[in-house]
Amino acid sequence: MNCTRRNFLIGGSTTLFLSGYFPKISFAAMQKKNLIIISLRGGMDGLTAVPVIGDKRLKKLRKKLILEDVLNLNSDFGLHPKLEIFHKLWQKNQAAFVHATNIPYTGRSHFDGQNLMETGAHIPYKEKTGWLGRGLLASNIIGKGLAISLPMPLLLRGVPQNNNFFPSPDFVETKLIDQIYNEFKGEHNELIKSTLDTIRQRPLSMQIATDSDDRKKLALEAAKQLKDQSGPRVAVFDLDGFDTHAAQGGVDGAHADELEEVNKIVTILHENLGQAFDNTLILTLTEFGRTIKQNGGYGTEHGYGSAILMAGGLLKKSQVYTDWPGLKKKELFEGRDLNSTIDSRAVYNSAMSVCFNQDPEFLRKEVFWGDELPDLSQELFKI
Amino acid sequence: MSLNFYRRVAFGLSPNEKPDKDPLNWAINQLDTIPDLLWPGTIPTEKDLRKKYGEWVYGDREVLRKKFKNDKHAYRKAKDELRIKTGERYFELNEHAIRHFQTKYSKQPVFERFWLFWGNHFAISEKDFLAEFSTGPYQREIIRPNMVKTFEEMVQSVTTSWCMIHHLDNSESFGPNSKKGMEWGETINENHARELLELHTVSPNAVYTQEDVIQLAYIMTGWAHKWDRKNLETGDIWFDQEMHQKGDKVVLGVKYKNDAKRELAKVIHDLATHPICIKFVSTKLCRHFITDEPTDEMINPVIAAWNKSNGSLIEIHKAVITQAYKYNEITHKFHPPEIWLMQLSRMFDLNIPLSFEKMNYTFKSKPNNRQRQLSWILREIGHSPYRAKQPNGWSDLEVDWVSPELLLRRFWFASIELPMLVKSGNRSHGFILSCLKNNFEDHKNMASLIDNFRFGTSDYDLGQKYGVICNLPGVLKI
Repeated sequence: MNCTRRNFLIGGSTTLFLSGYFPKISFAAMQKKNLIIISLRGGMDGLTAVPVIGDKRLKKLRKKLILEDVLNLNSDFGLHPKLEIFHKLWQKNQAAFVHATNIPYTGRSHFDGQNLMETGAHIPYKEKTGWLGRGLLASNIIGKGLAISLPMPLLLRGVPQNNNFFPSPDFVETKLIDQIYNEFKGEHNELIKSTLDTIRQRPLSMQIATDSDDRKKLALEAAKQLKDQSGPRVAVFDLDGFDTHAAQGGVDGAHADELEEVNKIVTILHENLGQAFDNTLILTLTEFGRTIKQNGGYGTEHGYGSAILMAGGLLKKSQVYTDWPGLKKKELFEGRDLNSTIDSRAVYNSAMSVCFNQDPEFLRKEVFWGDELPDLSQELFKI
Repeated sequence: MSLNFYRRVAFGLSPNEKPDKDPLNWAINQLDTIPDLLWPGTIPTEKDLRKKYGEWVYGDREVLRKKFKNDKHAYRKAKDELRIKTGERYFELNEHAIRHFQTKYSKQPVFERFWLFWGNHFAISEKDFLAEFSTGPYQREIIRPNMVKTFEEMVQSVTTSWCMIHHLDNSESFGPNSKKGMEWGETINENHARELLELHTVSPNAVYTQEDVIQLAYIMTGWAHKWDRKNLETGDIWFDQEMHQKGDKVVLGVKYKNDAKRELAKVIHDLATHPICIKFVSTKLCRHFITDEPTDEMINPVIAAWNKSNGSLIEIHKAVITQAYKYNEITHKFHPPEIWLMQLSRMFDLNIPLSFEKMNYTFKSKPNNRQRQLSWILREIGHSPYRAKQPNGWSDLEVDWVSPELLLRRFWFASIELPMLVKSGNRSHGFILSCLKNNFEDHKNMASLIDNFRFGTSDYDLGQKYGVICNLPGVLKI
């Protein structure tokens, strides 16, 4: 390993802390904070993930989708039984939920919605960069994004030098790169050359070949990278399949299968981040929730309000943070969807401010064009 | 003139092609006519494929979802069977084969490069089942025939094509004062109008307002698919007067009188001949063929040819090629993965696509691995052509294509997959050397980098050689 000045400084301070000479607060301030976003594409049903307990209307409208064995959160809300890790973390104040929330988009198109959940804008396709990319850039955190996907997700665009990790089906001999590295001469080859540098500096563990559908391995590697003090500070996972128009089911339905995937990723991250989990926030992101009423195929249609699942040591406490709009017909959005009473971008803005050590006001202006997004960091996160 | 011109404007030279004495003429003479599609296998029509699309969505949405509402496993199984029966897993593979066969064997490869360009300018991004059934035939039947007409005619065809209308939701756009809009309380969907302005014609450089978008959306209301219970959203495009917003409209300061279906052709005429549109599209063409940041000096002759010919695409294409030729020695251009793959396939006569006999499909089982191979490679190198994530299509900028994983994937393909695609007669070292000589001035230096493996003909040896060759700066870029 190259002993750069940066590594030396970090190593030095750790030693000092362990020997008890270093005030804890300074050490904490120096600790890298990680922000992990898991995109849930297709429209995650907040009422399946975090069901409201004892609502007669919901029971009536969703006869075939009702969950049994719901995990208990509090007197009002339960948790889908497949989200075990969140329940476990809930006991330790390391899991929380924001409910009845969404991006300010009511159009019900996946494509427009997914575009907006990533750009954070109001008009689909208008912005070409992602809110996370802009947040990193505004915070002057360059080269610290890690995408767990092959194309760079829109969410991370807007800041240069991100890394992406999505192993190819077979092992690639990086010595091939060494053979041609010196051929990249001249200014017009600089970008490729510096990217080849990034590849050459990758740890051996990132040079694996795998089935990229094996999320376990990807999550494991992401955890390793994030744990590294000089490694990435944000990571983005992509899951799809939440668009359950049919056979959505209850405990074992199609939506449950997807929640199980989320649970798997968070479990692996939690196990492998170790102490770094204390300095981590994991947040989910989706384009919209789903209709209250089941459809003819015992699935649900595209809706509006959903929920954000959160985990990590930077959460203030276990809570379901919501301004609950109710499920009576007149309380629903357009008479059919759970309403959104919290602009989810306020949650993401606050999360960035905590993880990037930035003023939320500043980020709101730099990233979200000064849109009115209340600062929720006091309520939701440790600051 | 450097040999790299053949890769700048085409796909390099195949082993049986030789450099032309007059490369500029060679290129320009390819643009006057539309070459036939050469694929000897099935080339289904857009209409036939739309019918298949209809069978698939109807079968899933109207039949299976209801039948198996209590059983996700039975539902999944029945759905998989329907995929096979309707070709949902097959047609995209066949389209990739048609496309790559064309770029490999076409006698007018320069024309084919423009075909790729326009397919991406009027991009259909990944949505619903467009990639599976519609984007391929749209590029064959809507984009291709218009390449010897005017830009305006191309925009007209694209804007009223089923594929683009479905892609950008114009069938869901109702004039609020139209008969149906009033009855059903529906209003406009601005998507298609916005992209017609932003991506297809004038671009944000025209500084249009939200009101312009709304007014253009009003003009476009009524252009929709004909819906019925059996075909659902896959019916033909027509103009539905009962959806159309009544009254005059104003777009970019021009007034369009209430004139039903004729309004659209008028506004498209004005947009497609707008000086800002001409500059925007000319710039994009130069960016594609010359360099990421083309200068006014490079672009102006293209604009001049556009104006002089009233937007004739043949003349515009010729001007672009002339500029590409002029600046060939002093500019660099990075090639995205699919074009890189097409070039390797042509230069080294690789076994892609699979032969048409082997691509034959019986709709009785899943397509086999060989049939899926090309599409799988395209996905793994990060450039599955019909699956751009956004309506602005694939980026033409190097910075969007150079990431660690995307570069690694090129090494992966060249060193591991490519050797299995080398024809049995082409495994000798001499063959590689002759291909290099045919396409690269510095072929001697390139050869020296693989000299260690000159006696090797195993897959591993070929992998070591191609892994190096295909990723050299002069191959990734020109």
